[in-house]
Amino acid sequence: MSALWHPAICADWLAVRRTGAVAFVRIIGVPALPLAGCVALACGDFYGGYGWGLAAAALLALGGSYAIAHQRLLDTLERWRFGWCGALPVARGATAGTSLLVTAAGLIVSLAFVTALLLGASMAAPHRGDLPYALAGVDLALVVGTTIAAVRALHAGARVRHADGIREPLFTLPWLNDPRLPHLLDWQRRETLVRWRRGGSFVMVGVVLAGVPDGPSIPMVVALVLLVLAWAWLAVVMRASADASNAAVHLVGATPLHPGLARVTSLRYPLIAASCALIPVIVGTALGGRAAIALGWAICACAASGWPLVRIFRATRTPGPPA
Amino acid sequence: MTTLLRTTGLGVAYGDTRVLDGVDLEIARGEFVALIGPNGAGKTTLLHAIAGTAPLRDGMVSIAGHDLAKAPRQAKQAIGLAVDPPGLPVLLTGRECLALFAGARGLAAIPPATLALGETLSLTPVLDRRIASYSLGMRQKLGILLGLIGEPPLLLLDEPFNGLDPRSALAFKSHLIATIAWGGTSVLLATHSLDIAERHATRVVLLMDGRVRRSWDAGELSAMREQPECSLEKAMAEACGGETAK
Repeated sequence: MSALWHPAICADWLAVRRTGAVAFVRIIGVPALPLAGCVALACGDFYGGYGWGLAAAALLALGGSYAIAHQRLLDTLERWRFGWCGALPVARGATAGTSLLVTAAGLIVSLAFVTALLLGASMAAPHRGDLPYALAGVDLALVVGTTIAAVRALHAGARVRHADGIREPLFTLPWLNDPRLPHLLDWQRRETLVRWRRGGSFVMVGVVLAGVPDGPSIPMVVALVLLVLAWAWLAVVMRASADASNAAVHLVGATPLHPGLARVTSLRYPLIAASCALIPVIVGTALGGRAAIALGWAICACAASGWPLVRIFRATRTPGPPA
Repeated sequence: MTTLLRTTGLGVAYGDTRVLDGVDLEIARGEFVALIGPNGAGKTTLLHAIAGTAPLRDGMVSIAGHDLAKAPRQAKQAIGLAVDPPGLPVLLTGRECLALFAGARGLAAIPPATLALGETLSLTPVLDRRIASYSLGMRQKLGILLGLIGEPPLLLLDEPFNGLDPRSALAFKSHLIATIAWGGTSVLLATHSLDIAERHATRVVLLMDGRVRRSWDAGELSAMREQPECSLEKAMAEACGGETAK
C-alpha cells in the first residue's frame, strides 16, 4: 500500500467488493435520488418550457451534492480517525489525499449519471435546445457543491460529533411516545438531527439563494427553497428513522417485545415528521403557482424519499455473529 | 430442582461456519453455571442462541417450559441478557435506555431494584448523561442493568466483569450471589475469569469447537477449592488437550 493513501481505503475496497451489488446500490443510491430529481425539474423546461426548471435543477444539484459530500466526508474522517485504523501510522496528507480522491471519484460518477439522464430525457423534448444550459448548470452546480463540502469538511477535520446539533425539543407531547418503547422517538429525532447537521448547515441556504438567476420571481425562489428543504429534511428523517428503528429492534431482541410491534412503533416519528414537512410543501406550492404540477412533483419526491421505511419491515432473518 | 433452561442438539452456523454443533445443556433454578472455553469456542453465540438473537440451524431451546421457537414471548419473559457495551445507543441517556428496556419488558417504569443496583455500582450520577460520554466501565454497568431489569429468573451474562473497577466488580459479584441465594435466580456466565468460575459457580461447562467438551459439578469444584494442587485452570488445560497444559 502506497504511503500516499490512507490504509483504510484498502479495507473499504475489499468490503465493497465482497458485498458487491448491495454496496454499489447503497453508495450510488443516495446521490441518485436527488440527481433524478434534478433531471425531473429540468424536464419542466424541456417539455413545458416553464423557464425556471433549469434554475431549480441547478439549485437542487448544488444543495444536494454539498449535503451528501459533506456528510460522507465527515463520516469517513471520523471513522478513519477514531475507528479500527485510528492508531495506525498514516503518512502526512494521506487522509486528505485519499478522501479527496474518493470524493472526486464520486463526483465523476455523479456527473456521468446526471449527464446520461439529461441526454436521455431531452432526446424527444420539444425544447431540447435547453440541453447545453441544463448540462452546464447542473454539472457546474455538482462540482461547486462538492468542492465547498470538501473544503469545509477537511477544514473542520475529524472529531466525535455524537452530540452535535442535538437540542431538546421546545415542547414535548408525551402521548407520542409508545410506552412499549419509550424514548425510541427521541432516539430517531436525535439521529435525524445529527445527520441533518452533518449534511451541512443553513449557510447552504444562503449559497443557494445567492446562486439564483434574475429570471424567477421572489415567491418562486422561496417556493423552490421550501420544497427542496422539505424534501431534503424528509429524506434524512426517513433514513435516520429506519436505521434507529433497526438498531432498537436489534437492541431489545432478547426482551419479550414482539419485533413486529417494535417496527410498527418506530413508524410514529417518520409519520409525524412527514406531516410536518407537508406544511412547507403546501406553502411552497401556494407561493410558486402551478399548484398541480408542484404538488405532484413534491408528492412523488416525498414518496421516493420514503423508501428507507421499507427497511424497517424487512426482518433480518440471518443476522451475523454477535459483536 | 426444577429445570429452567434446556437446550437440545443446539446448532448455529454463520454462512458455512458452524459455530455451535449439538449443544445439550440444562440449568436448574438457583444454579450458577460458568461457561468457559477458548476464544471462538461459541460461548457468546450460545448465549445469543438461548436469548433468541442468533439464528438456530438445529435443535431447540426451552426456557421455563416454553419453547423459544413456538412461544418466544413467554420464553423471553424468563431471561435477561446483558447488553454488550458497543451495542448501546449512544444518543440516549442511561436513564432513557433503562426506560426503553423497561417498556420492552412490559414495565410501566424503571423498577426501583434496578435503580438501587445502579446506585450500588455508582452509576446513578451519570444516568442522565448521554451514553456517548460513558467510559467502557460505565457502559458495562449499564449493559448489566439492562440485562437484570425486571429481575428475570435466568440471567445470561457475557464477560460482565470486563472494564469494571474492583469495587464495582466486587459489588456486582455480591449482588449476583445474593440474588441466586435468596431469589432462586439462575445465572449462565460466559467468562475467561477462571477464578470467578472456580470460586462462585455451582457448575462449570467447558465449550470447545461448538460442543460441550467437559463439565465440572459442585462436588468436583469443591474438591478443587480444598486441594491447593488442583485448579480449574489445570483441569481446563487438561481437558483442552495435553499440549496446552505443558
